[in-house]
Amino acid sequence: MIKIEKLQSGYNKTKIIKGLDMVAVAGEITAIIGPNGAGKSTLLKSVFNLCDIYSGKIFYKEENIKKLPTHDLINFGISYVPQGRQVFTNMTVKENLEMGAFVFKDKELINKNIEDIYRKFPILKQKQNQDAATLSGGQQQLLAIARSLIQNPQLLLLDEPSLGLSPKAMKEVFKKIQEINKEGVSVIIVEQNAKKAVEIADRTYILENGKIALSGGKEILKNPKIKNIYFGGI
Amino acid sequence: MSIFIQLLLNGLIAGAIYALVAAGFSLIYSTNKFIHFAHGVVVTFAAYFLYLMFAVLGINFCLSVIFTIICAGLLGWIINEFVYKTMRKRKASSVILLIASVALLILLESLILLFFGPSVKTINFLEGGIGVNIFGAMITSLQIVIIFIAIILFFGLWLFMKKTILGKAMRAVSNNKDVAEIVGISSKQIYAWSFIVGSSIAGIAGVLISMEQNLDPVMGTNLIIKGFTGSIIGGIGSVPGAIIGAFLLGLVEVLGIWFLPSGYKDAIAFIVLFMFLIFRPQGIFGKKDFSGKII
Repeated sequence: MIKIEKLQSGYNKTKIIKGLDMVAVAGEITAIIGPNGAGKSTLLKSVFNLCDIYSGKIFYKEENIKKLPTHDLINFGISYVPQGRQVFTNMTVKENLEMGAFVFKDKELINKNIEDIYRKFPILKQKQNQDAATLSGGQQQLLAIARSLIQNPQLLLLDEPSLGLSPKAMKEVFKKIQEINKEGVSVIIVEQNAKKAVEIADRTYILENGKIALSGGKEILKNPKIKNIYFGGI
Repeated sequence: MSIFIQLLLNGLIAGAIYALVAAGFSLIYSTNKFIHFAHGVVVTFAAYFLYLMFAVLGINFCLSVIFTIICAGLLGWIINEFVYKTMRKRKASSVILLIASVALLILLESLILLFFGPSVKTINFLEGGIGVNIFGAMITSLQIVIIFIAIILFFGLWLFMKKTILGKAMRAVSNNKDVAEIVGISSKQIYAWSFIVGSSIAGIAGVLISMEQNLDPVMGTNLIIKGFTGSIIGGIGSVPGAIIGAFLLGLVEVLGIWFLPSGYKDAIAFIVLFMFLIFRPQGIFGKKDFSGKII
């Protein structure tokens, strides 16, 4: 589904991703883990054209999507959920969802998608007229995910969805991610909580210094190299 | 009692005019996140444009008003497109944009002065007349029209921000530009739209002010200071807050000169501004985030 070749990207003149190759298969959950500063979030931002791409290619369904504008990426079926429970705090839950569907012009389709979201996330229906600022951290994260699902994505990019959440809220968020995947949405998830991410992922990539250091399945955390990557050989 | 009601009415009229300026100013600030002082000169431009169309060229008043509002919106768009957008591309900070807006205010006021001359101009469309007596206080029919139009406009603006997709997109950009971009809202387009809508409101303000007051090329400076003060009182970035803040400012100014000579009117406004900046910088409706930063 997504094939990245020799990607080099970063911000202004600072190169963060330094020649990275990876593949994410359709229908799977692909986890990207690694120590702080490894370039995990920058990798997701590169796919969604939110940082500077210096070289390399990003193929989505055989098409090079490098540097495509956001609305084209959304129309292609790619949605992005940034880290840090990013919702429009001055808007209601329903308005947040409507903003998720901003690129769509068909009102009927938008309303249908919102109703679908309410079926999947009953808590959001309950709180649809409440300001997003009044939701709990876990609910805000669910709203951010729901807002991207309104776009009917085939590929969902999730940047640290568990960041700052309580264990209970985190469990709920990960459960939802698995449910979303079971409905046919491919997921690329960047996570600090390596154990949790590997548990739900079909395939995991470990990033170190802007490059893939290791890749594999659920057994990857047993690899002796992990300690070196995370703790520098302590 | 009648003096108090008269002052109240005068305050309401002054407040309505300030609120018209503050509403457009605050709308532009909320999305663009910099202080666009040149908004004042858009009001002046509109007043003089109406004067040119109606009093000089003799074009039908209603047509002149429509042209004026469209041209004010267009001027706002041009200012954004050719000045601020270019500067943003060069990574100009909000302080640099503010300095540019002050330069624009002075430059455009000078151009109006050059074109129309320093003498005050008057549009004699709707004479004030004898006025209506309300509990012993007098208000002219024109002043009633100003308050009435201002209230309808504010209600319309509220509906626009709450119910239309463009208004909601403006609120989204105002709240979190980065997330707005992620869902496919182009912040550049929203900046442009907020200039068009905000400047059109300035156009309406210019039309109403030109019917109530004499025109003078630097009138916009005083108006934007009052509009800005109203925004600070109500909470900068909050359009309803700015409108309520501006009405409060009008009332405080007028009630203040009940006790003090009228020359102190501007001083009263600045005292109120300083008090808010010191004791409640987020204004009445503004909010602070967990770190204490005004949002």
